[in-house]
Amino acid sequence: MTTQAVSLPAEPRPRVTAAAIGRWVGSRVLSVYAVLALLYLFLPIVVVIAFSFNNPRGRFNFTWEGFTWKNWTHPFAVPGIGSAIRISLEIAVLSSIAATMLGTLMALALIRYRIRGQGGLNMLVFLPMATPEIVMGSSLLALFLNWSFISLGFVTILIAHIMFNISYVVVTVRARLAGFDRHLEEAAHDLGANGWTTFRKVTLPLIAPGVLAANLLAFALSIDDFVITYFNSGSTITFPLFVWGSARVATPPQINVIGTMIFIVAVGGMLANIVVQNRRARRAV
Amino acid sequence: MSAIAEASGPPAGGRERRSFLSFGRRRKLVAYGLLAPGLAWLLVFFVVPMYFLGETSLESGSYPTFTFNWAWHNYSDAITTFHTQFLRSIEFAGIATVIALLISYPLAYWIAFRGGRWKNLYLLLVIAPFFVTYLIRTLAWETILADDGWVVSVLHTLHILGPNGRLLATSGAVIAGITYNFMPFMVLPLYVSLEQIDWRLLEAARDLYASSRIAFLRVTLPLSLPGVFAGTLLTFIPACGDFINAQLLGTPQQYMIGNVIQSQFLVINNYPEAAALSFVLMAAIMLAVIVYARLLGTERLAGAAAAAA
Amino acid sequence: MSDRLTRKQFFGRAAAGGALLTVPGLASACGTSVNNASKSNASAPVQKKLAKVLNFDNWPLYIDVGKSHNHPSLQQFTKQTGVQVNYVENINDNQSFFGKIQGPLSRGEGIGADLIVMTDSSGYPQKLIQLGWLEKLYKPAIPNIKNLVASQQHPSWDPNRDYSLPWQSGMTGIGYDPNKVGYELTSVDKLLSDPKLKGKITLLNELSDTVGLIMLANGDDPAHVTKTTWNRAMNTIQKAVNSGQIRQFTGNDYAPLLANGSIYACFAWSGDLVQLKADHPGLKWNLPDTGGMLWTDNMLIPLKGNVFTASTYMNFYYEPKIAAEVEDYVNYICPCQGADKVLEKTDPAVAHNTLIFPTQQMYNNAHPFDPVAVNNPTYKQQFQNVIGA
Repeated sequence: MTTQAVSLPAEPRPRVTAAAIGRWVGSRVLSVYAVLALLYLFLPIVVVIAFSFNNPRGRFNFTWEGFTWKNWTHPFAVPGIGSAIRISLEIAVLSSIAATMLGTLMALALIRYRIRGQGGLNMLVFLPMATPEIVMGSSLLALFLNWSFISLGFVTILIAHIMFNISYVVVTVRARLAGFDRHLEEAAHDLGANGWTTFRKVTLPLIAPGVLAANLLAFALSIDDFVITYFNSGSTITFPLFVWGSARVATPPQINVIGTMIFIVAVGGMLANIVVQNRRARRAV
Repeated sequence: MSAIAEASGPPAGGRERRSFLSFGRRRKLVAYGLLAPGLAWLLVFFVVPMYFLGETSLESGSYPTFTFNWAWHNYSDAITTFHTQFLRSIEFAGIATVIALLISYPLAYWIAFRGGRWKNLYLLLVIAPFFVTYLIRTLAWETILADDGWVVSVLHTLHILGPNGRLLATSGAVIAGITYNFMPFMVLPLYVSLEQIDWRLLEAARDLYASSRIAFLRVTLPLSLPGVFAGTLLTFIPACGDFINAQLLGTPQQYMIGNVIQSQFLVINNYPEAAALSFVLMAAIMLAVIVYARLLGTERLAGAAAAAA
Repeated sequence: MSDRLTRKQFFGRAAAGGALLTVPGLASACGTSVNNASKSNASAPVQKKLAKVLNFDNWPLYIDVGKSHNHPSLQQFTKQTGVQVNYVENINDNQSFFGKIQGPLSRGEGIGADLIVMTDSSGYPQKLIQLGWLEKLYKPAIPNIKNLVASQQHPSWDPNRDYSLPWQSGMTGIGYDPNKVGYELTSVDKLLSDPKLKGKITLLNELSDTVGLIMLANGDDPAHVTKTTWNRAMNTIQKAVNSGQIRQFTGNDYAPLLANGSIYACFAWSGDLVQLKADHPGLKWNLPDTGGMLWTDNMLIPLKGNVFTASTYMNFYYEPKIAAEVEDYVNYICPCQGADKVLEKTDPAVAHNTLIFPTQQMYNNAHPFDPVAVNNPTYKQQFQNVIGA
């Protein structure tokens, strides 16, 4: 067998066309733009982190007075801040998971099935987002006051958060379902899978990014909510309530410390997760 | 016809109905079953309070004695007295939504297509600002944009701002505040929709001699429309009722309808008026959403599958 | 949720829940009265027995804080009386707090607190008295009431201190940066008319503070508001808003703006300047020469609160030693006479700070606001219109 008879055509060198340059610039511009957008998102956070090292003599943390580690060595020095953030995190985790479950099911139902009153249901999903928080919070309070078997506090805050989170989850997951390729499910059917298996093995993994994004959104909404929480909290203090409450007399740097700590823990957790996934993927290869 | 819930039902075009739980009935039950928990939650904890809020909106009197007497004048008063703030809210929310879309679309695109295995991390970074409460974020912006800060000084030197110009306490500051705070609401739905796009479609477009611009406009953009629709709604709708940005970053000339509702409720204790204002706002937003959905074409957004099913 | 609700169960439960949502019940919870008398203050004679727990709702960071994040003064109270104190810092705003508690109170129910603290300048303590939603203090348990500062003993809205006792006080005046302003700013007129201050001043969104100071500058008496004096004040403010002189109407968010130089001068609360001056000693706070406003955060006993225990605590607080302990941390204006003498030895800087222990001259120059006018709905609406919403 001769090796010289037939030679594969050489790889054509990439032509330096305008289109090629355009593509190169375009992709660079996109990356630059994205990084700028992320920087814009993070500019105030950088300031917040910087001010967590601030050393004011008074109780306000408005202007830079000097560097210190003491806020980080005593992050819970301000009484009440520790339990406030703990309660906020618990409520955020629970309400985001519950709302994601309820909302995802609703989104599936609304997209997949022709339900009577679809238009009305769609409106119902949008309305909580359109309602001003102050009237939503106080009306819900009026409801709870009539149900004396529920005492105002953790449970009522949780209920309220799940309620307003559902809408955001439905809209987000629906955006994912709208572009969903049904043929994959059909194929699964044809291969003998029943409804539940199809859902578990085909649908759910494919909409997982949408569900995760919805969960993150609900978490963010819950951890930062103030007005609705205030009305339905009884004597329970969440982190935003604590911050807004103290703001009249103080803005302790510990607030910045705690916020930064949460951020670091979350990012660290996510990074660790990614590393583990990579190891697993590499081992599988 | 594809359907998700067909377990071991009759084969397509099947002959006999299997007793009570026929094909159609089964689907209906599944549909309602999926819908029920979330719907129940919303009915009990949203619709019921809204019903009583509606009742309040038709009362009149002064705190604490309000009596129900079909006081429709609350609604007409709301519109005539506060139409400036209504229109301003829609305007500010609209501008903020457009700006958020322009900033977020490339970011979402980049995360979806270039994020690789770090996608989830970037998503987390997008919502990370929410871990630090709104007040602290806004204080940070007030520090950055302070009249004596270097941002304003640079703008003065470049003559972009007049010598007495300021960034805080302006319409720009309020809109910037709204945009900043609602960016995650725009990025996440956009990402969700973009990430789903099959890159092979773009490859196919290239093979068919489409430039990247055409590929984007004819393939990516239309496929990402559900995400655009969702993101703009998740930003515009709550932004209309926002009050806190105007309160901290605005002057009386920037106050939105949310501020009016706050003061009617908390300061003046005029609960019927606050309720009426809320319903007018909700109606205006719903109207805008319906028009918007029509413009974009709901079938495409709700999924062609639903229309075909 | 292992088993799904059947449709029947679901509707059954919804109906049961719905039955609880009676129109009268919810309506009155929203503030409507349907066949209920709001003046239901027929308290039974006071039981002279201390409760096991005192439920005390207060503003955040408004009481002394010890090294191990406890509240030493409250611990001392427990040691002295055996009463545990359930101290909750859930009041951050008079208006929002009222919005929260008016539901149960309007139906004659308690709010789970024996003691709350609200500001007189917001009009809400007066409102609560008018509506009959407060319990009277049990004076025989409060002999230390004699330690109350003289100028606080007979406010026009509670002339005999039957329902309230001050917790802390404050004054509203002009806070400013002399370097930026260029001179000693003691005139409200100057504040509103100096072109150098255009767009660099803020006023407060609190009606009694802002309108009070303006009225004093106009030569009127804020303690007795008439339609004429009110309209004069409104015109003054409106003019300054239209000309762009006033940058914003703020709550206490003027503090970061003053600190970072975005504003040069503002209507400010004395306690805030105490904190700001710690980091910016150049900042100043004065009562205007035409006079400033005096406000008090008052301890109140809401309906169904335990009167005897709450009164006992109030008496404990008015012990100069205890008031001094709290004052050393809080740094607003102390309403208890003799506390400054105690602090002379332990913290003379605080004892001599006139923003914490004002001179008699300052007290003479600080005025309360008309307690009836502050709740007048027409006035309130007009003020809101002027400040934009």
